[in-house]
Amino acid sequence: MTDRHPVRAGFERAVAGKVAECDGGDAVPGTNLGGRQEFTGTLTGDYVDHGDPPWRWYLMRDLTRKPDGYAHEEVWCESDALYLADGSAPPAPHSKRAP
Amino acid sequence: MSRDPLHTKLCDSLGIEFPIVAFTHCKDVAVAVINAGAFAVYGAAPHSPDEIAADIKWIRERIGGKPFGMDLLLPAAAPPGGTIDELRAQIPKTHVDFVDDMKKRYDIPPPKGRVEHFELGWVAQDRARAQLDVVLEERVPVLAFGLGSPAFLIEAAHERGIQVWGLVGKPRQAKRELEAGVDAIIAQGSDAAGHTGSIGTFSIVPAVAAIAGDKVPVIAAGGITTGQHLAAALCLGAAGVWTGTVWLPSRESDVDIILKEKLIAATAEDTVHSKCMSGFSMRILKCKWTEEWERPDAPPTLPAPYQLLLGGELHQAVKDYRIEPFMTDAAGQGVGFVTSMKPAREIVFDMVDEAREVFENLTSDEPVATPG
Repeated sequence: MTDRHPVRAGFERAVAGKVAECDGGDAVPGTNLGGRQEFTGTLTGDYVDHGDPPWRWYLMRDLTRKPDGYAHEEVWCESDALYLADGSAPPAPHSKRAP
Repeated sequence: MSRDPLHTKLCDSLGIEFPIVAFTHCKDVAVAVINAGAFAVYGAAPHSPDEIAADIKWIRERIGGKPFGMDLLLPAAAPPGGTIDELRAQIPKTHVDFVDDMKKRYDIPPPKGRVEHFELGWVAQDRARAQLDVVLEERVPVLAFGLGSPAFLIEAAHERGIQVWGLVGKPRQAKRELEAGVDAIIAQGSDAAGHTGSIGTFSIVPAVAAIAGDKVPVIAAGGITTGQHLAAALCLGAAGVWTGTVWLPSRESDVDIILKEKLIAATAEDTVHSKCMSGFSMRILKCKWTEEWERPDAPPTLPAPYQLLLGGELHQAVKDYRIEPFMTDAAGQGVGFVTSMKPAREIVFDMVDEAREVFENLTSDEPVATPG
């Protein structure tokens, strides 16, 4: 991470232990394409706010759904890519649902 | 005189003549489309922040104050990090052997130089933020996002007079984008090129249109290459169409001529939804690489980023030496209607004429001629 885009870590008690789905994905390096990857798991409550305006990412573990062959046991998910059981998104600084 | 069905709220919102949005990675195509009265969104995701600044300047100098857009890909999920060497070391030997055997059988040499797939931005958030800084500073009229949610930057964009568009493949994503305050929603069906969701264009567009209501325009995407598609999209509730494949073999496009010829010859059945390129599922033109991964004895594809790293050297060599059987590109199912290499301006006008003819036939008292 660069000084220009500082990362601030935090913990959001309200979502810790909650199951969520993530409509994730990323740009495909070396191409002009992007691809989605979907996950289901449990939010730990840990988050990072990246840069300004803050861009919030939550840590998801105990993955019960992940892409075939996904080698990791955890994934960082952008807050607006996350869907809690009631369809809502977890809190984020840019939204009305901010704590 | 009745209202022009091709003059939609997207036209009003952008000050354009035709509700056609070209998504392109070629600046010449973007300029030609804009100057023909439609709209273009330039795919800037693979470019560095400095390159994006130069691209914006280049486009602005050629369109006389008309609006244009830039498209970036924001990450929405990020696995724990690792260096390229660490990640490559985790690729199973069976997969390495499978690709080595392919290289021998097809006599594919090592790449000439650096492998692009091994060098581009793996620290996803930092790269995307640096790109965003440029487009916000340059006050590009429209910022479109083909992936990930732009919610966190909508306020910053709107403060600068920038419209923000989000692309969705599911109704729940459309609801989320609408809540965030986007200015238009691109509803993309599985007919589209590259990565798509599983819902077809004819189902996702009206579903998203119902969610958007009168709040924001919906732009239909996925398999749209003709005026008939444009007319159908408007009937489904869209205010415009997002098009990509149709521009790839256009006269101005910088796509390799070999690929242009393959695209022109291709039908919808010549595209395949496959994970073999990157580990992400995406619709691409069939080629030897996709065929090899469909062999019964082929190993299962690896997840991203391993599949891309596995094939990186081969793909670079294919590009360096223009090895036709392995050359491919993302292409939507509408590719079957793209049958000649036309100037971008002509493509715009043909789509408009075809759509007008559809609407005239629909409202005419005369019997409608049937094809053939």
